[in-house]
Order: sequence, then structure tokens, then C-alpha cells
Amino acid sequence: MGKQIEWETSLTTARAKAKKAKKLILMDFYNNL
Amino acid sequence: MENNFIPLQIDFNKNKALVKRYAVKWTPTIIILNSDGEEHHRFVGYLPPEDFIAQIILGKGKVEFDLDRFEQAMQCFQEILVRFPKADAAPEAQYYLGVSKYKSSHDPKELKLGLEVLQRDYANSEWTKKAQVYSLIP
Repeated sequence: MGKQIEWETSLTTARAKAKKAKKLILMDFYNNL
Repeated sequence: MENNFIPLQIDFNKNKALVKRYAVKWTPTIIILNSDGEEHHRFVGYLPPEDFIAQIILGKGKVEFDLDRFEQAMQCFQEILVRFPKADAAPEAQYYLGVSKYKSSHDPKELKLGLEVLQRDYANSEWTKKAQVYSLIP
């Protein structure tokens, strides 16, 4: 079983975390039909 | 994935500001951003796992490419070609591998060599068409 992905929901938080960890952001726009 | 990326999910129906800012019209839309929120790569639609991973690596490679870090970009593009040679992202990776080699070495022959690989391995790809002009390089 793969590790569960822990998704951020705020771009501001994701940017801060990405900057601190020197990572990129994978932003997924989804739609619950 | 989490070694290289902060994963961020945005509800298309609840975050109109981001939908507008990134001009998203359909879901799923996946966008690779740097930490300043600048876009480097996107793709739309559901993909099988191998194609999805290949697109993500391609996105990382395009960030490195955009930042003129050509050695790191080439590593990403080569990883796609080795691990996912049949993925739809592979011809684009081959195209950008040739361009990265040229940008790194300033030797135009790298563009022509890249085209030759595209013609051999991905003859029907749009990326082979886009590289066709490099056949004129002596």
C-alpha cells in the first residue's frame, strides 16, 4: 500500500512550505461532480 | 513525489480567485509551480499512473530548464526516457533534452542529434515536427 498523500489546501501555505523545503508545488484543481 | 513537491489540492467550485488567476477551465488540471507561484508546466485530464508520473517529472525538468539549470533539467528528461519511454511525455522530454544539451554546450549539432533520436523513436510525434527545422543545421 502506497503512502497517503497529505494535500495542502492553501496556496499561501504551500508556497511557504515550498520555499522553506526548496521544493516545487504540484497544484491539482479538482471538481466533485 | 513528496521528495520534490508540496502537493496542493484546489476545489474548482470553491476557489474562484485561483481558478481565474491560473485560467483553469476544466478539471483535473495539474499545474507545476515554483515557490513564488509561477507556472512552469500544466496538463489537463486523467492519466494512467505511468503517464502521470512522466508528466510530473517533465514539469520538474521544465522548471530546471526555465531556471537555466540545464544539467538538472537533462537528468529529468533522461529519467523519463529511461523509465517511461512509451509515455506521451517522452517525445517532449527528448525534444527538451536536445535543447538543453544545446543550451548547455552551445553546439547546434545537439539539436540535430536530438531530432535524429526523435525521428528514430517518435516519428509521428508533434515534437518531431517541431524539431524538423534542425535538419537544416550543417
